[in-house]
Amino acid sequence: MTTGTRVPAASGRRSPSAAGAAVVTVLVVLHVLAWQGTGFSPADLVRGWRGMADFAGEAIPPDLSWPVLGAGIRAALVTLYIGLLGTTFSVPFALVLAVLGARTTAPNRWVYQAARSLLSFLRAVPDVVFALIFVTAVGLGPFAGVLALIFHNTGVMGKLWSEAMEEIDLGPRDALRTNGANGVQVVAHAILPAVVPQFVGLLLYRFDVNVRSSLVLGLVGAGGIGFLVNQSIKLFRFDQMATHLLIVLVLVVGVDLLSAAVRRRVAV
Amino acid sequence: MSVSPGRSAGGTALADRSPSPEAAPPLSISGLRKSFPGRTVLAGLDLRITAGRLVAVLGANGSGKSTALRCVVGLERPDGGSIRLHGEEIVGLSGRELARRRSRAAMIFQKIHLVQRRGVLDNVCAGALGRLPLRRSLTPALFPRELREEAMECLRRVGLADRAGDVVGRLSGGQQQRVAIARALCQRADIVLADEPVAALDPAAAAQVLELLSELAREQGLAVAAVLHQPELARRYADRVVGLARGRLAFDTSPGHLSDRDLDDLYATGEAAP
Ligand SMILES: Nc1ncnc2c1ncn2[C@@H]1O[C@H](COP(=O)(O)OP(=O)(O)OP(=O)(O)O)[C@@H](O)[C@H]1O
Ligand SMILES: [Mg+2]
Repeated sequence: MTTGTRVPAASGRRSPSAAGAAVVTVLVVLHVLAWQGTGFSPADLVRGWRGMADFAGEAIPPDLSWPVLGAGIRAALVTLYIGLLGTTFSVPFALVLAVLGARTTAPNRWVYQAARSLLSFLRAVPDVVFALIFVTAVGLGPFAGVLALIFHNTGVMGKLWSEAMEEIDLGPRDALRTNGANGVQVVAHAILPAVVPQFVGLLLYRFDVNVRSSLVLGLVGAGGIGFLVNQSIKLFRFDQMATHLLIVLVLVVGVDLLSAAVRRRVAV
Repeated sequence: MSVSPGRSAGGTALADRSPSPEAAPPLSISGLRKSFPGRTVLAGLDLRITAGRLVAVLGANGSGKSTALRCVVGLERPDGGSIRLHGEEIVGLSGRELARRRSRAAMIFQKIHLVQRRGVLDNVCAGALGRLPLRRSLTPALFPRELREEAMECLRRVGLADRAGDVVGRLSGGQQQRVAIARALCQRADIVLADEPVAALDPAAAAQVLELLSELAREQGLAVAAVLHQPELARRYADRVVGLARGRLAFDTSPGHLSDRDLDDLYATGEAAP
């Protein structure tokens, strides 16, 4: 530590302690407001412990009979499929919007702004909301879930990919431009080769997230194991619900391990 | 490294460019102006480069050397003046016609700017992107066979045919710079503008690259301009030396006549006035 030389405080700036106090005050006020706004009440939680205990009592032991287990596994596969298709089918849309919405590759400012806005919109609308919309369009079931994921994931992955493309060294792009390459050729030969590892990593990360989201989509009627969880709660069959949650746990951990393993491979 | 003049298997466009004395010079810049917000970088630059010659471009930091070259290849848009490639004006032009005229000039960068993850041969082929239709160029797998052969020939010219299958990232800096020169050849450029091509190379690799550039000029008839920061290199390899100061031509002389006074004046003048 350099105790001998002190850096003089820049003139015109408030002293650090005053600024710090202001920040702390604001944070405290915000938390108090949030506490009131959410009806946060540990007392209610303590009073409700009996209900929780009853719930746990009924959930344990889980119903591991074959009909329940088999139905759960089949539904978990559907959940996996929703996540898979939702991720894969969003790739072409995400790629096009990422290229148009990255400063380094956009053909002009208007296209850039339009692509950015569309990506923001798709990202801002939660996949559950998309699912509710598509359930009314194509009916209850996994197809609505796939559509919802395609839309939302295009927004998220497009943003992540366009950021990856904005961070690369622009030298090769400029070099190919001086060779006379057009925009598409530049993307294909200078930009994409540089970002493939990041793209694959982000894709796998999104697959992981999307499988977990498709569980939630099931809760609103878009098929898969989330749908079964919802049903068993409605029927007060908490032992069956526990079985389904165990299957979910296995599914989520499995997908996580798989995508982490592949990402490690790609990063090398 | 061997640069064989007559032999040209795949690169007919490169062979025999000995200019007729009346022909327009490959590159002729006159009155070129370029400002960035708050500063004038090129203040009426005049510069001409000749086929079959290596011209060294000297100048202090900020004197506008890179900006001048970048204006020629389209990485900067000049504010005014004239740039003629083989007598054809390119300032104020746009679209296909501009791309066609400009395809004869290639740029070599200090930082080389190859695509690191791609193979050496694919990188050389990329020089030809400007004349390939999209369906033959969306990925390297679609590159036509004749192009690969032409690219091989370009690699042979820079002495790296045996590295064609390697990934660029495995090559040394000097080798990478020679691959970049092969890419320029594959572009079928007859004007090569090199911006500090050897600034990041060790002396041996630097000598190899400059020898290659001067051989290409002499034996292939290319017009080469190389920005250099070491006057000794200019004296040793260049056929002509020009100095830039404050965005203008300060001197234009032969290496034999390049005096220490010229150099002292050049490096004392500093940057262009705002
Ligand atoms: N895109 C830009 N925006 C603003 N200023 C720029 C830009 N490019 C270059 N300049 C300025 O223009 C001046 C000339 O730059 P240039 O790169 O042409 O000089 P140079 O002769 O190549 O110098 P060096 O020997 O350092 O490479 C510099 O002062 C630089 O800061
Ligand atoms: Mg420079």
